[in-house]
Amino acid sequence: MSGREGAQGAQREGDGQVVRAILAGDTERYAELVTRYRDRYARYATRMLGSADAAEDAVQDAFVRAYDQLSQCRDPDNFVGWFFLILRNRCFAERRKSKDVAPLEAAGAVIAVERADVPVEMDERRRALQHALLELTPEQREVFVLKHVEGLSYGEIAERLNTSVPSLKMRMHRAYDRLREQLRGRE
Amino acid sequence: MKTLCVSLLLAICSTAVSAQDVTARLAGRVPPDVATLVRQLATSAAARGLPVDPLIQKAIEGSAKGVPADRVATALRGLVAQLDVAAAALRDAGSAQPDTDAIAAGAFAVNAGLSGKNVTALAVASRPSNSVPATLRVASTLAAMGVPPAETVELVTNVIDAGGSSADVLALPTQVMAGVSEGRGRGVTPAQAAAGLSRAAAARANAPGQNKPKHGRP
Amino acid sequence: MTVNEFHPQVKQLLDGELTLTDLAPELRAEGEEALRLLGAVDREPVAFPGLDTRILAELRRRRATPGLWQRLRVGLRPWTLVPAFAAGIAVALLLFRPAPTPATTVTVRFVLFAPEAQQVALAGTFNQWDTAATPLIRTEAPGVWTATLTLPAGQHQYAFVVDGARWVADPAAPAVDDGFGRRNSVLSL
Repeated sequence: MSGREGAQGAQREGDGQVVRAILAGDTERYAELVTRYRDRYARYATRMLGSADAAEDAVQDAFVRAYDQLSQCRDPDNFVGWFFLILRNRCFAERRKSKDVAPLEAAGAVIAVERADVPVEMDERRRALQHALLELTPEQREVFVLKHVEGLSYGEIAERLNTSVPSLKMRMHRAYDRLREQLRGRE
Repeated sequence: MKTLCVSLLLAICSTAVSAQDVTARLAGRVPPDVATLVRQLATSAAARGLPVDPLIQKAIEGSAKGVPADRVATALRGLVAQLDVAAAALRDAGSAQPDTDAIAAGAFAVNAGLSGKNVTALAVASRPSNSVPATLRVASTLAAMGVPPAETVELVTNVIDAGGSSADVLALPTQVMAGVSEGRGRGVTPAQAAAGLSRAAAARANAPGQNKPKHGRP
Repeated sequence: MTVNEFHPQVKQLLDGELTLTDLAPELRAEGEEALRLLGAVDREPVAFPGLDTRILAELRRRRATPGLWQRLRVGLRPWTLVPAFAAGIAVALLLFRPAPTPATTVTVRFVLFAPEAQQVALAGTFNQWDTAATPLIRTEAPGVWTATLTLPAGQHQYAFVVDGARWVADPAAPAVDDGFGRRNSVLSL
């Protein structure tokens, strides 16, 4: 997605300039990056973790960690790509931990927010698929989310994750089969 | 020898400092009669090696909650009694001069429903590999969650005996809570969830090849 | 190829490389099943209004500690999330914990469901029981109030204060006697 960021004209400085300014001591400018990318990966994190609450915490944590480690960002012009990897690691780590503990939803999640605009049956199928997604490995879930939720092509995903298209396809095809298995089991 | 000198020095210094400290921390937060009582209790408590901070906190809490002065006084005296019980329990566990953090944690455990004997058992189990205050705090949380005292002590002890680190002990309340959540349809109580974890830990401790840590005795 | 595996052509369909009409007739049903699966994907955009404010507040709070800024420049220890546990009425504590070395501070989010309240505050050992120090804010979900704090590791007691006068223990947290006839909630970090 870094290519899509696109210049919004001369008013806004590129990420690289903002990052360099922060590292030079103008730390308050981190607020610009936060505002810019606050929601960029909100949906990705929500689908990866299965809960908006967990996703919000993951995004917050990633922003704080990115701030702490800003001097380690090797390509300031691609802050958003680097930030994505931090968030990604965080999402992966979260699932690793919560394998030992009942996931948030099963534990009696905070609020059951019903979406009034979505018909009940569709809502149920969405939930079923989200639940099935959570049964995949994080790597499988991720390729599915990036392609089918975020709408990236295999090529774009490969670039972002620094891997090859064939290996992504292999992962995805395993995911398809496992999803089918999960969803059929529920009928 | 050096440690003994240092701790004596600290003990002397802390008693001398605490009177001013107490006044400063209570200023504007508690009525004068409560402040006077706290100073008195703090002086005698410090002389016995008890921590003063819990008394200050409790007095501030009572005032913030709008509790009448006599009720605050009763609560403070009760707290001193808990601190004394905890200190005695830790001495029974082999500490000639228990550290104030451990005493405070012990008093909190007593408040949560554990007995002096429970505190002793937990302190004994903790050494040398685990932090006594941290263990006591986890036990307090478990007791506050509704795990009965005996089961609490057994669970924590079994986990430490199985080679559990501080992180493993610290994770216990979350695990018990998870056990309760998962078993909600079946009416799993905190005691049952704790018992399940306890059995698992005991099994690990008794598995062949385990290096069981020796604790308590020199 | 077992019963649950999609045919390779159906997988190409899922990948967007084939259309339904490209499939052999005997694969149509399976193709339709696959497209129904994709149809259940939730693509709703997600936003976190107010999150930027919280992030910046969190960063300012941490920078306010003397000496911490230098450590921040070098890079702090990695954090992992301790999963939340929620029970009873809709109240959850979400914990951020630095790991693997012992934590010095942890970020905690407090949530209370109090639809009738006009204001909610948090008071506890970490803020000297000051009922004015830590107000909760309303979230988008009706009746849900929240506050996020960074607290030192250790044990804390707290309670919610509703409308300035009613002290309410956290329904989801362990509780202990406060010595005054009420209960305090316990938070162990």
